[in-house]
Amino acid sequence: MNSEFLKTYKTALVGILLVAGLNYTAISSADEDDSKKGNFVRGARAWADNCLRCHNVRDPKELRDDQWVTTTFHMRVRGGLTGQETRDIITFLQMSN
Amino acid sequence: MKFKLKTIAIIMGLIFGSNVMAQTELEKLRSEVDSLNKKAKEWEAFQAPKDQLQTDVEKLNVKAKEWEEWKTPKTLIHLAGYADVNYIDVEDQPGTFSLGSFSPIFHFQFADSFMLEAELEFEIDEAGASEAGVDYLTIDWFMSDYAMLIAGKFLSPLGQFRQNIHPSWINKMASAPVGFGHDQAAPSAEVGLMVRGSYLTDSSISLNYSVYIGNGPTLEGNEIGDEIEMIETPGLNQDADGKKVAGGRLGIFFPRQKLEFGISAAGGKVSLRTDDGSGGYSYDEARDYNALGADFNWRISNIEFRGEFIQQEIGEQLASTASEGGKWSAGYLQSSYRFLPSNWEAVLRYGQYDTPHPSEDLNQTTAGVNYLFASNLVAKLNYEANENPNAGNEASDRILVQLAYGF
Repeated sequence: MNSEFLKTYKTALVGILLVAGLNYTAISSADEDDSKKGNFVRGARAWADNCLRCHNVRDPKELRDDQWVTTTFHMRVRGGLTGQETRDIITFLQMSN
Repeated sequence: MKFKLKTIAIIMGLIFGSNVMAQTELEKLRSEVDSLNKKAKEWEAFQAPKDQLQTDVEKLNVKAKEWEEWKTPKTLIHLAGYADVNYIDVEDQPGTFSLGSFSPIFHFQFADSFMLEAELEFEIDEAGASEAGVDYLTIDWFMSDYAMLIAGKFLSPLGQFRQNIHPSWINKMASAPVGFGHDQAAPSAEVGLMVRGSYLTDSSISLNYSVYIGNGPTLEGNEIGDEIEMIETPGLNQDADGKKVAGGRLGIFFPRQKLEFGISAAGGKVSLRTDDGSGGYSYDEARDYNALGADFNWRISNIEFRGEFIQQEIGEQLASTASEGGKWSAGYLQSSYRFLPSNWEAVLRYGQYDTPHPSEDLNQTTAGVNYLFASNLVAKLNYEANENPNAGNEASDRILVQLAYGF
């Protein structure tokens, strides 16, 4: 790995940041979009599919509604969930606890 | 005279008659008053619970509002984490009780845009002294549904074990696979910037990625300074040699098949760090550094397979007192079987660790049985057979007992 590789890599990183930032603007303006709301059925499926990739599934009754929000966002980072999967799983967990 | 008597009789009759009428009116009035009193008492009796009810409703409204506040504030605070306690019996040595670690994780989330995450680690050394450290501390910006910017000290995204499987309540064994401990073949942490996220194609394939740039590792030499002992990756809080390291991981996950593959790579420059004798450090000429990794996990019903390979390599640097390069690599394969519907689980793992130092190489086979009191509370019993493949070097087997709790 040489300095040319690093330069290319840094450029790519900046590019990703820019694309992600532009995407953020678009998504923020669509906050009220109903299609972005969490969905119980999709959430149950995403919960069953993703949690077991690393650990035993946790009982929805273990935590309160507000605790499931932070926990699921934490798992978004750790497990690489999309924003929509995160909202779906939160909806499923909050309606099941 | 007769007239007078008649008049008196009439007057008396009138008086008596009116008196009787008055008496009747009075009784009627008394009766009405009694009736009214009764109604007033009934009304009072009805009014009192109504008032009480109204007060109770107002109190409940206040409580309900307070409860709603738990769900709707912009900032959410949550404490999670894990801890474990152990008993370790090393071959030809006395068995010992041992506290593993207590690792609280703090989450401070602002709306659905930002989150501060911090995992601390508290341990007790052999002499009983307490040690504290920061495993990771990041501010995460959820930029879009598909990208997050992570800034701070984060767990290395290369591979899976260090970033996701190391917590004791998640790891199905009581120890890390050989080569995946601190400052071995698998990088531990990095201080820098990372972008990570995922993209779900059509709910049949999920792509996840992470790319980062950070201060990079440093090299630790032996006492004489003519040989590289290890690559240190604790997440250096300073880029003293001025050479950044960049890398990332790309994963593909098939949710229906419960199958995931990942590849990782990193590259840059690192320097040998030496104590300058005055409490500081000096760094020699930088040399090439690269890391490569691959990982998978697959679940079929109640059987899980997991495997990983990771390698870190440094190049030669003729201007350094420790001029030779070297390669540290490790890999493991693990399978587990849950005896449903019971809470028992069997685990088998095989791992290899190869280093430039023959005395540190290790082949390890571990068999374990777990009892899950709950999904996050696990008792483990492991037998670990260790063997150094190089002639003239020995390794001791171990029995490990652990109780791990994730909260």
